[in-house]
Order: sequence, then structure tokens, then C-alpha cells
Amino acid sequence: MIRLIHIIIAVVALTILSGVVSASESDSERFPPPEFETDYQRPSPTTPEPRQDLWEYVDVAVLVAALGLSSYLVLRKRNRRMIFLLTVCSLIYFGFWRKGCVCPIGAIQNMVLSVFDANYAVPMAVAAFFLLPLVFTLFFGRTFCAAVCPLGAMQDLVLFKPVSVPSWLESALRLLAYVYLGLAVLFAATGSAFFICRYDPFVAFFRVSGNFNILVLGACFLLIGMFVGRPYCRYVCPYGVILRQLSRLSKWRVTITPDDCIRCRLCEDSCPFGAIRQPTADWPARSYSRDKRRLVLLMLLLPVLMLAGGWITSALSPVTSRMHATVRLAERIYQEESGEVVDTTDASSAFRATGKKISDLYGEAGDIRGKFRLGGWFLGAFVGLMAGLKLISHSLRRNREDYEADRASCVACGRCFQYCPREHVRLKQNKTDRE
Amino acid sequence: MNRQLATTNTKVIVGLVIAVAIIVGIFAVVRLDVTGKTGSGLGSEFVYDIEGVGQIDPNLILYEQALLPIETGFSNAYAVAVDSEGSIYVAGDSSIRVFTENGDSFGEIELAGTPRCLALAADGSIYVGMRSRVEHYNAQSERLASWPDLGGKAVLASIAVSKKGEVFVADAGNRIVLRYDTEGRLLGAIGAKDTDRNIPGFVIPSPYFDLAMAEDGLLRVVNPGMHRIEAYTPNGDLEFSWGRFGMAVDGFCGCCNPVNFAILEDGSFVTCEKGLKRVKIYDPEGSFVGVVAGPEQLGHTGPLKICMLPTDCQAGGFDVAVDPSGRILVLDTVRNVVRVFTRIKKEL
Repeated sequence: MIRLIHIIIAVVALTILSGVVSASESDSERFPPPEFETDYQRPSPTTPEPRQDLWEYVDVAVLVAALGLSSYLVLRKRNRRMIFLLTVCSLIYFGFWRKGCVCPIGAIQNMVLSVFDANYAVPMAVAAFFLLPLVFTLFFGRTFCAAVCPLGAMQDLVLFKPVSVPSWLESALRLLAYVYLGLAVLFAATGSAFFICRYDPFVAFFRVSGNFNILVLGACFLLIGMFVGRPYCRYVCPYGVILRQLSRLSKWRVTITPDDCIRCRLCEDSCPFGAIRQPTADWPARSYSRDKRRLVLLMLLLPVLMLAGGWITSALSPVTSRMHATVRLAERIYQEESGEVVDTTDASSAFRATGKKISDLYGEAGDIRGKFRLGGWFLGAFVGLMAGLKLISHSLRRNREDYEADRASCVACGRCFQYCPREHVRLKQNKTDRE
Repeated sequence: MNRQLATTNTKVIVGLVIAVAIIVGIFAVVRLDVTGKTGSGLGSEFVYDIEGVGQIDPNLILYEQALLPIETGFSNAYAVAVDSEGSIYVAGDSSIRVFTENGDSFGEIELAGTPRCLALAADGSIYVGMRSRVEHYNAQSERLASWPDLGGKAVLASIAVSKKGEVFVADAGNRIVLRYDTEGRLLGAIGAKDTDRNIPGFVIPSPYFDLAMAEDGLLRVVNPGMHRIEAYTPNGDLEFSWGRFGMAVDGFCGCCNPVNFAILEDGSFVTCEKGLKRVKIYDPEGSFVGVVAGPEQLGHTGPLKICMLPTDCQAGGFDVAVDPSGRILVLDTVRNVVRVFTRIKKEL
């Protein structure tokens, strides 16, 4: 264990050292800056050196190490204290040291853009950050969420007095993440914006700088996170949506008890994220027919929800397409041309200065809006599908004999371990073995 | 009972905190200006307001406008030059118009294209810079030659003729000065970036790149992006430079100034700036002497501004020339008139 701490400290120290070295500055003769008649002493202009490519590989190596360590601590050591320590280290490295970028959550957009834009190449580190947590999740469950993700770590640290969220509300709020993921994909695919990065509530904290509104948003998440465990991860995180589905398929997974569940119910309320599922009772015979009818009805409703979602979202394309700068510019130019506004903006003046034809701009904006119409169908259908599947899943009976961590919802934080008496027996046995 | 009440109260408080946080969070997202349409949000102290520096202290003004402005009749006037007799040549549209020193028109030379610059040689011949080639006319306005085209990237901005008869052509597009003989044979190039010769290269953000041959035999070339005038030998060695960036009256401001200049008989310089339009005098060493005209004297109306958009930066530069009697002629390329200024004070 001490060796492990030494390794972590060495990695952090090396990273800090690299930052100091890469911060060397170079002067060059450039346009003079504006002169204001004040006593302010202008610093000499400097150009920071670009970050060395080597550090991309270091980031990836740290990510692999953290994922491996997290998986080991969660599945083998079952040690909440060490998981917590790793969480803090990840927050320091990926959050405050690397300023929250590159992160797997934002990397979704890079990957999507690379699919839809042949001119965009995904950097190796970004691809690795996107794929590695997915691979680890396929084998070990959501160990990335457990102790590697800086956003999750941030929320984990502020959790003060967790309250339980009713399952119906939990289920409904989770739909937000699907909508968010769909929007992020749509905006990235159309080259409009990296939506996830723009609204990342915690990056402003990591950088100790940012838009005031985003800082307020981050503060609100942290305030809510004091009582509702990891609200961003559970209800908003688009990467969490993918991890949830992969985690269902994971080869190994977190178990509350190290061996057999004795149904002591001690762990029942131990999860602040509502991820512990209770044993199920037998299906009451009287409700069987009614539940079966409801299931059939919901399955018939599924395509209706998809079509309705697609139609509504596609119809909203005039609004959603405004996220694209070209559409906004075309609308502004149209307003100026039609006399709806009398002044000009910097963007419209700059466009006019280029000498490009307005008709070409309108054509370009029309094409983009067309993409949003089409993308809106996919987005709406996706959200409708997810909403329908959620309704269907609530109508399905599952046979569960023990208390279990839900494969999809469990973020592998390890809080439940210490509530299990079997875990205490295991620890005592281990101690005896060592002695 | 009390514990139950306390639990209930705690739940209510937690619920209220969460509700407030959700409302504030939603409000923060909705109010987030992702397109920048609400501006920077900075106060007026951050506005780039140059009205103050645009006001020229009357005590600094050494010249006054002598005549009514000479109407050139052009839609787009580009350059002005004066011959040894005091005749004023103005290039614009697709011709060169000649005026007496009193502003009466007495001749016109039709050109095949739009002239951008011109120079008058001591023998009376005229060198006209079109966009990418030089045309040579004799004193009788007959075309003697059209020199080889310099290619699509060339933007000729100024021509000067030395006493030896060498012709120096400033190519703003290629950021270089070309040296020719009178027959149009290329003799060399001046000003290409060369660290071994300590030549920084020309920084030319807009198509203004003036030069003139001084009495000391050194070619003076504006390096507008660096806000200075550099002195080169005909062989291309950089001897010295003067000029500094500054919003104050003794400096040059904006992206690229001065745009044009002329040399007085005593070796002093008359400089012309665009954006914050100012015509000023510097002594042969480059020290500020005084002002010929500020924005007000140059007929500027409306708010003053440093060029912010490409269209603003690429046009609006005035040309300047000096006649044998020491008058300063400023070609107003906005109103297409020539303003004539005469000295009213010897010194400040």
C-alpha cells in the first residue's frame, strides 16, 4: 500500500515538474499592444510553448493506471478508504492539474465530429480517453465513475447528508441524461458546438476561472450534491448513459457482500445513489393479467413515442439550429436586410466585409437547418425510445433473491462494503491469515 | 415527538435548499449568453474610446489650409505628386489629372487601368504603378513602356525615383521593395526578412507601403506594422529607423501607420496616418515637430475610431506630397480632394 502511495506521489510530482519546465517563455517581436496613458507597467509579451506531445501519452498512462487501480481496489481489495484516496488523487490530477481536459465525457463530441466531418481527426489521447473507460467498464463495471472521473470525485467529496430520491423521480430524471447526450451528439455532428464542454459545471472550478453563470451552475450542482448523491452523474452525465449500458454487460461487477447475502438488510439504505436493489417478492397472481396487458400496451406505445419525439424535435429545428454560428449569422443578416433591425453586429459587419454573397450564406444556413431537421428525427426517436424502454422496464418483473448492487446504476464507490457483516468476517479472516 | 419534528424540519430545509439550487441553476443556464450577443459586459472604462486623443492641441498645429480644397473629379483618388514646377498630379479612377499650383485643371493622361501610385522624375517622366505593373510615360504624356507584370500577389503601393534615375517600387503584396533602372530592368530587392543582415522584414497589414528617396541618398521606407520609417541604402542595407507606437500625438497608432509620407526640403518628414487621421511633421532624426492637420482640419465628421474591420483597415489612407514652395498637399481619398496647407508658425 505504501508503495502505491509512493507511486501516486511520484506521478503527481513528475507532472508538476513537467509543468514548470513547459512554462518557459519566449519573446518575439510582434505588433505593439495598444498604449493606454496609465501608470500600469505592461508585462513583456510572451508566447507559451505548446504542450509537449509526450504528456498526452503520460495522461493516457495515468488514466490506464488509475482505471486499473480503481478496478483492483473495488473488486479485489474492496477497500473504500483506498478508493476514496484514489478519488482525491484523480480529482487533483485530472481535475485541478489537467484542468478537466481532456475528459471522456467531452470526448464523445470529438468522436462524433470525427464520424461526421472527414476533415476532423481525433487526437490519440482523446480517442484513448473515450475508449479506455468503456473497455474497463465492459470488464469491471463503472470503476471509472468510482474513483477516476474528476467530476464524480468533486461531487463525491461534498456528499454530506444523502437523501433518497423516489424511484419514479429517479427514473424520470435519468431521461435528462439521454436528452443531453442526444443534443450533444446532434450539435457535434452538425459542427455547431461542443455542448458538453460549454455547459460543464465543474470545469470552471478546476480552472479557477470561467463564466459566472457556469460557476453558479457548478455551485448549484455541488449544493444539491450535498444531499443528493452525484446529481450530475446520475441525471445529466451523457457519458454515464453509455457506461450504464456497458456496465450491464460487464464480466465482473461490484457485489455488496464478498460471498453469500444473509439478507440482514443492513446495507438496504447504505447507497447514497439509490443503486441497491432489494430481493423481489413473488409475482401476485391477481396482478399478472393486468401487468401483461400494460406491457403489451407500452410496447405498442413505443413506436408512437419515437415518432412523436422525432416529429417534435424535428419541428424544433429552427430553434436548435441557432446553436450553429452560420445559422445565427444568416438570421441576423436577414433581419438587417429586411429592416427588422437597424444596427449591425460585429459578426454581420465582418461577414459583409468579406464580400461573400448573402444568398450563399442563406443557402449554407438552409443546408445546416436541413441537417438539424433530419438529426431532430433521430434525436427525438432516440429519446422516445429510451422513455418507452424505461416504461417497459418498470413493467417487467425481475427475480432477485439477494440484495444486489444495480449493474447499471452502481458507480462502484464501495460505500456499501462496510455495511455487510460478511465483509467484516472477511476482513477479520484476512487479518488472522496475515498474522 | 421532538425528534420526529426535527427530522421533518430537516427534510423541509433540505428540500428547500435543493429547490432553490435547481431554480438558480436553471436560471444560470437560461441566462448564459453562449453567442456573445449581450457583449462583453465590461464597463465604459474598457471602451476603446479615442475621442480624447483625436483632439489636437491648437498650439501644436503649425499649418493652416491655404486654399479651398482642389476638386479632383475622381470617384476614387489614390495618389498625389508634385513636379519641380509645382504642378499637381493626382492619380485616380483610370487617369492622371494635372492641376496648376492654384488648383486649375490643365491636363489629363488616360490610363489603361486604375493607378495606385505615381512618381515624377527630374526629367519630367512619369512612373505610374498599376496594381501589379509599372507604366512609364514621358513628359508629353506618351507611354514609353509597360514593365513586366509582377504577378497576382503584387500590390504596388508607392514609387520613388532617385537622382541617379533608379526607380524603387514598393510592393505591399509581396512585402518588398524592388529596385529598377529606368528601362525597367530589375537591379535588386530591398527589405526581405534577413536575420543575418539584421533586416526584420516589412509588416504590412493593409495596402499602404510608402517610400521616398531622401537627400542623404538613403531610401526611406515605411514599415507600417512596426509603426516606423526605416532607412535603407540602395543596396538594401538597413541603416537605422525611427518612429514608435503611441496614441499620443508624437506616436503612430492603429494596426499600420504611417500610411504615407513626404520629405520636406530641409529633410523633415510629413507623415499621414489613417484611422485616427493625422498629418504631422518630424525632423530628419525622427523627433516630433508639430502637426499639419488633425481629424478636424482634415474634414473628419462623426466618431473617431481605430479601424476594427478589414474594410476599415484596407482603405481611407490619405496621400501626401510637398511642393517646391514648401506647401503640404494632402490627398483626401474619402472626398477625393486635395487640401493645401501652408506654414503659419516656424516652430512650437
